[in-house]
Amino acid sequence: MFIDFMMDHFVRHSEQEALIWQGKSYSYRKMNELVESWQTTLSQLQLPPGSVVALEADFSPSSVALLLALIERNCVIAMLSSAVMDKKEEFCDIAEAEYIISLDSEDKVIFVSQARKADHRLLTYLKAKGHPGIILFSSGSTGKSKAAVHDLVPLLEKFKVARHAKRMMAFLLFDHIGGLNTLLYALSNGGTLITVQDRSPDAVCAAIEKFRVQTLPTSPTFINLIMLSEAYKRYDLSSLELVTYGTEVMPEATLQKFYSLFPDIRLLQTYGLSEVGILRSKSKSSDSLWVKIGGEGFQTRVRNGLLEIKAESAMLGYLNAASPYTEDGWFMTHDEVEVDGEYLRILGRASEMINVGGEKVYPAEVESVLQQMEGVQEVAVSSEPNPITGQMVKASVKLSTDESLSDFRKRMLQFCRDKMPAYKIPQKLVLVDDWMHNGRFKKMRRG
Amino acid sequence: MREKVSAIVLNAINDFNETYGKQIPLELAEDIPLFGKQGVLDSLGLVSLVVSIEQTLEDELGVSLILADEKAVSQRTSPFRTAGTVIDYICKLMQEETQVCESPSH
Repeated sequence: MFIDFMMDHFVRHSEQEALIWQGKSYSYRKMNELVESWQTTLSQLQLPPGSVVALEADFSPSSVALLLALIERNCVIAMLSSAVMDKKEEFCDIAEAEYIISLDSEDKVIFVSQARKADHRLLTYLKAKGHPGIILFSSGSTGKSKAAVHDLVPLLEKFKVARHAKRMMAFLLFDHIGGLNTLLYALSNGGTLITVQDRSPDAVCAAIEKFRVQTLPTSPTFINLIMLSEAYKRYDLSSLELVTYGTEVMPEATLQKFYSLFPDIRLLQTYGLSEVGILRSKSKSSDSLWVKIGGEGFQTRVRNGLLEIKAESAMLGYLNAASPYTEDGWFMTHDEVEVDGEYLRILGRASEMINVGGEKVYPAEVESVLQQMEGVQEVAVSSEPNPITGQMVKASVKLSTDESLSDFRKRMLQFCRDKMPAYKIPQKLVLVDDWMHNGRFKKMRRG
Repeated sequence: MREKVSAIVLNAINDFNETYGKQIPLELAEDIPLFGKQGVLDSLGLVSLVVSIEQTLEDELGVSLILADEKAVSQRTSPFRTAGTVIDYICKLMQEETQVCESPSH
């Protein structure tokens, strides 16, 4: 019923590749059979339509088929992945999950029923309406994770418009709005989803070469790792046509470097949030951070320098937090932006902005400069209290050299002097041994 | 100990001159006016210099002190007036630390 438009494609493209998992190809015919088989299993298990189900998985034939079968059964699905395993119990509680379905790396399915009945207002609303829903947890990189509940009916609407079928890498995780978007886009258009279990630069580049991937949706952090590891030199990436990046602010230096290495790959900045979904976007050019966002079903406006979005398919609300909407129904992103006509440039989260004696500093612009230094593998900039200027700029740096802190400080000051005003040059430096990004390849600036 | 601290502070000022292209008159040694009346630093310069002194103290003497905090800012006479007053302030803080450390029985 809800995914008929997708299942029509499954029939029409039955001989084409829908999914590649562990090196094996699964056709649309095979996927169709799997969805039907899961629908039968869910009936046999007498899973009540409209149940709240936590689904813990990575992309695989069974997880994809099971997700579609649960949607057809009007279920509300709380998406979980390996990146949030330490919070699994907490998230299941917040979601009021009545069933937990886990898939392991061999695609074996474990089904556990919970002694609880979901009665959150948003969950009972969906159940009464007979609509399937989805619960997405925000990253919590700037605070506590929030559970966004979506009505899947309007969310699926935009996938009914036919677009180009591509061979896409399922890089962003299964429980991420970007990962879900990749999945729905590929399967709604007869495209092919190439899954990887190992998301290291080498494994991803090897899969791009082997399966002739055309589209890689990823994050600026991962693009940086591909270049640092030089994995791109060891594999043939000539099939790549489009790299999309989102989830965090792109450092200008990373973009320019990638563009100079791959001038023929189109680079597109995406803008999406667990709360409103993914907006359609158009970068001014491949080497530009200016982007036009919106598309059908979305309106944007900027108030006090902050981006606000009105979306037809926005979430119904949070399960565990107050409404983030303005009185007239706009979602407050808390992202500071610069405006130039139709184009926007994302500066960063208002909460991560550093105020040095009244001057604004955005972590991404400082990181972008430091990243160009020889020997700098990763850098995370954050604010540190200081009684003289209120806050100061602190940079945590992972080096590939064995320089001492004071040697590096001297080199950094020399390097930055003609590239940034003094107040943006990190006053405090810390050398770290570990990488500073999480399992979603997003930079962690705190902690 | 004061000599070591003095060397660290004057060294940090020297580095500061080199990297920021400043003209701090090093020959004045401990009389170098830093911040305030006739001071050669603005508030940002002071933050950077103080943090770099803190980190050198930690690296070379193994003491971790916070020089710029509410306490320093609220002193009746600023500890950041000259190189000499900074050195005195560091020694004072180090002494307080040592007393706390060495007199657990009191």
